[in-house]
Formats: sequence, C-alpha cells, structure tokens
Amino acid sequence: MNQRVLDVSGLSHAPADSRALIWWGNLAMMAIEGTVFAMAIATFLYLRMKNLDWPPATVPKPDMLLPIVNLVLLILSGLPALMSDAAARKEDLTAVRIGMALFILAGIVFLAIRFVIMANIGYKWSDHAFGSIVWVVVGLHTFHVLAASGENTLLLIYLFVRPATKKRYLDVRCAAVYWYFVILSWLPFFFFIYVQPWMHRKGM
Amino acid sequence: MVVTSIMVIFAMPAVMLDSTYLIFDRTMSMHFFNQSEGGDALFYQHLFWFFGHPEVYIVFMPGLGFISSIVTAFTGRKIFGYTAIVSTLVITGFLGFSVWVHHMFATGLPQLGQSFFTAASLMIVIPTAVQMFCWIATMWSGRLRVATPMLFVFAFFLTFTIGGMSGIMVGSVPLDWQLHDTYFIVAHLHYVLIGGAIFSLFGAFYFWFPKWTGRMYDEALGQFSFWLLLIGFNVTFFPMHILGLRGMPRRVYTYQPGMGWESLSRTASIGAALIALGVLMMLINFAISRRSGVVAGANPWNADTLEWSISSPPPVYNFLHIPVVSGANAVWDAAPDQPYVTGMRFDRREVLVTKTLDAEPDHREEMPAHSIYPFILALTTTLGLAGSIFYAWWFVVGMILTTIAGIGWFWPSKEDVREELRREMAMEAVRD
Repeated sequence: MNQRVLDVSGLSHAPADSRALIWWGNLAMMAIEGTVFAMAIATFLYLRMKNLDWPPATVPKPDMLLPIVNLVLLILSGLPALMSDAAARKEDLTAVRIGMALFILAGIVFLAIRFVIMANIGYKWSDHAFGSIVWVVVGLHTFHVLAASGENTLLLIYLFVRPATKKRYLDVRCAAVYWYFVILSWLPFFFFIYVQPWMHRKGM
Repeated sequence: MVVTSIMVIFAMPAVMLDSTYLIFDRTMSMHFFNQSEGGDALFYQHLFWFFGHPEVYIVFMPGLGFISSIVTAFTGRKIFGYTAIVSTLVITGFLGFSVWVHHMFATGLPQLGQSFFTAASLMIVIPTAVQMFCWIATMWSGRLRVATPMLFVFAFFLTFTIGGMSGIMVGSVPLDWQLHDTYFIVAHLHYVLIGGAIFSLFGAFYFWFPKWTGRMYDEALGQFSFWLLLIGFNVTFFPMHILGLRGMPRRVYTYQPGMGWESLSRTASIGAALIALGVLMMLINFAISRRSGVVAGANPWNADTLEWSISSPPPVYNFLHIPVVSGANAVWDAAPDQPYVTGMRFDRREVLVTKTLDAEPDHREEMPAHSIYPFILALTTTLGLAGSIFYAWWFVVGMILTTIAGIGWFWPSKEDVREELRREMAMEAVRD
C-alpha cells in the first residue's frame, strides 16, 4: 500500500506580508501596549472625576506653540514611514533606506523638542496626581519613540552593511506599522494633556 | 487556549500599570494613590481587580479543556455541542472583563454601578451552565467508563456547582455586604478554584500520566486518594460557609475563645489533614507506578487527540512526520492510510504555517536555533524590574543591558543570511 503524503517542499518561506508570524506578533504587541495606553487614559478620567480642581489651580495653561509643532512633525513623519512601507513591498532598497532615514530623523527631532517642552512644563511629577499622570503618559510615549527609533536605526545600519533579504523587508514593514502606532497613540494623549483639561477646567 | 491567551493580553496590562503606579508612588514620590495630593487609593483596587477577575478565568479555563478531553475519552463519543461550548468560552472571556467591581461592593460605590456589576456577574452563570449541560449530555449519550480521571470530573461538577451557587449569593449586593471578608468568601473561592482548577488538574495528571511515563498508575490507590481528597475538601471548606454566616472574619489568624467557631474550625483542620493525605497518596502512587506500573501502550484510554497516536512516553522529537489532521477528534477521524507531511527540512528548525480558517498549509517559517541570549535577557529584565522595586534607576540599568542582549539575539548570523540568500535564489530559479 502506498502511504499518502502531503508534500510541502514547494511552499515558500516567510512571505513579507500579513501572512507572516512576525506580522501578527507585531500586532499583538500593539494590542498589549494599546491596552496600557487606554488604561493610562482611564487613569486621567478617573482622577479627574475624583478631584474638585482638575488640573490643580497651581498649574498654568501650557504654551501651545511647541506642542503643536511637535504634533505636526510627528504626524508628517508618517509619510516617510508610508514610503518605506511601500518600497519594502516592491523591494526597492534605495527608497527603503531614504524613507527610514527620514522617519528616524523625525523621531530624533521630536525627542529633542519634547525635551525642551518637558523641561519648561512648570510642575513636577511629585507635585500632585495631575503631575504624576502627565509625566507618566509623556514618559510612556517618549519611551516608545526612543525604543522604536533606536530599533529602526539598527535596522537601517543593517540594511547598509548586510544584504537585504525578504525577511528584512518584512522587518521594515513591521517597523513602519509600529511607527504608525507610535504616531496614533500620541493623538489621544495630546488631547488629554493639552486640550481637554483647558476646555472644561474643573473647579475654576 | 485562544480565549485564555486573548484574556491574558488584555488583563495583564492592568496589573502591570497598577504595580508601576505603586512603584512610582513609593520610589519617585508620585501621587496616584495618595489621597492628600489628588490621588485615590481605591483606584489601586479598581485596576487590580480589572486584572484579578479575568485572571480567575485564566486560571480555570485550561481546566475546562482538561474536562472536555477526559469526558470525550471516557465516553468514547464526540463532545456534545462543541460549537456551543466554544462560543460560551468566548462569551465568558468577554463577560470576565465586566465583573471586576463585584470584589469591591463593600467599598462604597454608586448604586447604579453595583446593579450593573451584579447583573454582569450573575450572567456568567449562563455560559457556565451551557458547558455543564453539554458535558452531561455527552456522558448521558456516550458509553461511560469510570476511572480516576473521570471521578475527578464528577468532583469538578459537584464542587464547582456548589461554588457557583454560593457565587450567586455573594454576587448580590445586600448579601455581599453581610458576607464580605468573612469565611463564606473563603469557602466560595475554594469551591470554585479547587473545584474548577485543581480537581480538573488532578484529573488531568491521572489522565495523561500514562502518556507522560509510559506506565499506568495504580487504579485502586488512585481512587482511594480521590475519595480522601473529595471528602477532605468538603470537610475543610463546607463548614466555612457556616463560619462565615456566623461572622468569622477572614485574614485574621486567631480569635478569642467563646465565639462559637471552635468546633467547626477544628473540623476544617481535620479536613485539611485528609487533603494532605490524599495528595501524599497521589504522589506515592505516581512514584511507584513510574517504575513498576503496567506498561501503558500508545493509547490506553482509546482517546481522540493527537498525542495518543505516538508512543508513550513520546520521543523527544514528538512526531517523526507532521500528521495531517482531518477533524477535531484527530485519532478517531484518521483514515487507515492517513497522509502525513513530507518535504520539511531536518537540518533547520522549520515549522509549517497554515491558513487560519481552513488550515491549509501556506508557507514554512524558520525558527531561530539555540542561543544563550534569551537566558541573558531573562536575567537583565529580572535585574531591571526587581531592582526598580527598591531604586528607580535599576530600571534604566536593566533596560540598557536588555537592549544590548536583545541586539545580540536578533542580529542575524552570517550563516543565516547565506541560507536566506540561497533560498531566495532557488525561489527565483523556480519562478524563471
């Protein structure tokens, strides 16, 4: 009797699209971190509910210029990320390198501007609960920008010193998707730090 | 499995953030839980129980899987209402996130909130009952054999149902106000968790023992240990219901004489000794049977899942060839000449990735080879996180070391790159 077999030797390896395991790993990672971010926002709302003054009366209205410049910069950095994503799909190495270099650069400038903003924010995390949650949220996001930019720099260096294979193009795509997540997660945080508390200032 | 994993993904961040806030409060003078600077201590409980209640289901859902496996094997039929069982598990997964406040009824919350969380908590009964009735229907219509694993399934039904009943009682706010922090709660949580997680786990120990060791456990000793455990458990925890109703507080290690709690507490202590004896019997049984038990063969229970298709104990490589599966009860559904997968490489760690819905093979994925780096990563993350409890800067030190170890792990070796390039060249050649 002949044993029936299912021969898989002709199947390809690691496709550079949403069928790849690492693609789903990346999404699951964002689900976990997205939950952390959502709970940080819940913390904002819970503390607001529990406080008569929110933000506390000693907190001055923030200067909006630099935060808005930084927000626009971050959103615009999505364009080179899109570019390297699309280029990775076509395996166009030059465009991948340019796109990645641009959004890494944007990340570094963003971090520098954020440093200036936070140095002048006017309250410490040890002043009151409002200070604590603002610093934690900004810290969370800064940590993500820093980690993503560091990782992307490493990938970019790799793409200059070693040959680009399909697996590396998949890495580029995951890096771009993760960068979209870093951009999008700042939007609600921006709203709860710079917009909402001053639109309906509680207790004043 | 999937439901448990998804619950882990969405529940763990709450306790992660909660303990981070606590560390920040302690080591960096933040004010999340400090009432005087605008924080709120109760918020700690909210975040904790948002994790804590789903965690209960995370603990006992694998138990439901054990039950289903044992019931299927010991009735010799496919499980009744497979779709219903799976969908009620998914429902439990969702409901589990909307009941956390029922741990906090005594903390003074708005009445609307209390009503909502009571309703949500009582709703858990529905999916659980559906699962129970499906298992009962399976046993009713199958050819039931009774051995130690199946006895543990019966014990699960009995104790878990009693635990569910007392759960309905403490799920309603007025009763909870009376019973909160009494031994009634201790009784309730042991009936659901020992009934739900431990009895099913012990049943699983006996069920998979032959696969594990290649030998059968001693049936008479197994049943003896089972009865010791079941009787000991009830002697220990049933009196606690009454103690709770008589006002004995939990988390207090002693009490004044003359409170009327002595005899029942003593009964509970005797029961605890019976439980210890039962566990000891089980360990002795396993220790003896491991060496001198009857040789079990590949499938002593005539069970349905894939692990029973290979020898006991399984070889280190598990399956020589990946089997092709043609149904949920893989062993029963297999044709005499059931095909297996060929064409995977033996010199690299390849796994087969299938499509999600129809499970057709889609592509091959190569797993990384042995490396010391994951172990180093474990050490550096432990250093950073454990250190941060005492001094915040340890976290930064741990992160930097972790980054270095991570780079070491992920940077592809020259050989890996050569392999990838060779593979891609081969693919090009096929395409041309």
